[in-house]
Amino acid sequence: MALPINLGNCKVGSNLKTKVATHSAVLLKRKWLSHKSFEIMISSPPGFQFEPGQRVGLSMGGHTRDYSIVSAPQEAELIFCIRSVAGGKLSTLLSVADMGAPVSVYGPHGYFTFRSTTRSAVFVATGTGIAPFCSMTRSGISNFTLLHGVRRQEDLYYANQFQQNAHEYVPCLTAADPLPQKAFKGKVTAYLERHLPSGAYDFYLCGRQEMIRDATLLIDERFPDSLVYTEIFY
Amino acid sequence: MKIYTGTGDKGKTSLFSGDRISKADAQIDAYGDLDELNSILGALAAHLATEEKRVAELQQIQSDLLQAGAWLATRPDSSATDSLREVTTDQIHFLENAIDRYEKELPQLNAFILPGGHITAAWAHLARTVCRRCERKAVSLITQSMKSQVTEPYQHLLVYLNRLSDYLFVLARHCNRIHGIADKPWKL
Ligand SMILES: Cc1cc2nc3c(=O)[nH]c(=O)nc-3n(C[C@H](O)[C@H](O)[C@H](O)COP(=O)(O)OP(=O)(O)OC[C@H]3O[C@@H](n4cnc5c(N)ncnc54)[C@H](O)[C@@H]3O)c2cc1C
Repeated sequence: MALPINLGNCKVGSNLKTKVATHSAVLLKRKWLSHKSFEIMISSPPGFQFEPGQRVGLSMGGHTRDYSIVSAPQEAELIFCIRSVAGGKLSTLLSVADMGAPVSVYGPHGYFTFRSTTRSAVFVATGTGIAPFCSMTRSGISNFTLLHGVRRQEDLYYANQFQQNAHEYVPCLTAADPLPQKAFKGKVTAYLERHLPSGAYDFYLCGRQEMIRDATLLIDERFPDSLVYTEIFY
Repeated sequence: MKIYTGTGDKGKTSLFSGDRISKADAQIDAYGDLDELNSILGALAAHLATEEKRVAELQQIQSDLLQAGAWLATRPDSSATDSLREVTTDQIHFLENAIDRYEKELPQLNAFILPGGHITAAWAHLARTVCRRCERKAVSLITQSMKSQVTEPYQHLLVYLNRLSDYLFVLARHCNRIHGIADKPWKL
């Protein structure tokens, strides 16, 4: 859910303004980005519009799950970056489905979109949580600091893109492999704690719930008066 | 995904506009009360279960209140307000039309009445008083944070809450009427 502000029982962010619809698409391409993660390209349904950072529900074989869009609105197809989860129903299906297979697309949903202010933007992603930031940077948003937390170097998909557009791009690796250049050894939260100069920022956090919780509590303590936007994947 | 995030365990929460603020902040207080009102409307609808039209009307209002709550959960000067849907005059007219319809069937009031009677009327009165509290808090919040000028979306929100209280008052009377209970006038 996009911006989980809790209105009592309701997490705002499912939909407040945009028109949501069900669309039909087909699987066009699959490319493996690492051992566990792959990119899929599906046809962009006629009339489908979205803002960078938004997500859709993808449905195949009776299973529907949320996925953030990687591609930019001006691109001809929709691209997603998906982790193949062990025993996971839809991610497994999408990792083996035949080209041309039908996919239903629900949405777009969510408010995890970039809001420009005078403050510096800090994007923090874990794993496939990089997806919405890809869409943003492919749409021309630049000058942000990006921390990408992964286990191994092979999971630093889209590094080239960010090296070009980010003011600062910091891969944060937790596995004991040799570190690539300019990478940080440890979690994204450890980097925030030790290396981000104090001040007020616009934080955009996307990925695992544990990271989002730890980062938010850290921001409350170390970077008061910052804005925090979150997108929790799981 | 889990319902609990743990990001509010130390007394802070997030606004739709991204601000991290104390759960004791006036803004949280205001939309918290709106949530309370919405839940009371749910209780009222549950008691009215056989009256499908009334329940549908209340559910429409519950949905409107979520929309209104999003404005109270957003800093007025944030561009996040661009993502919010305004409370429209149509939604206000919906309440006014319902008020007019109920009033036509009700005996004229010549005295204050005691809130209560049938269980559904009692819930409607409770909802009305909580709605008034919501309105008071919204007024205070909006006028304080928007000292220079209250913009149209916020004006509509205040009108909506004001009209909703009136709607709940006539709905309470309607509930007594359809259950054959006379409103009890206030006697000194
Ligand atoms: C707003 C939102 C956006 C999302 N965007 C993406 C995206 O861009 N890419 C993506 O891969 N996933 C994304 N997800 C997660 C996705 O919706 C599914 O939960 C995920 O693909 C697993 O589905 P499944 O049917 O394969 O697994 P299920 O059969 O539903 O099993 C779920 C299990 O998978 C675990 N899990 C879920 N996601 C991941 C993950 N990324 N890595 C490791 N374990 C995981 C869960 O903890 C759970 O144990 C997003 C989720 C949300 C709520």
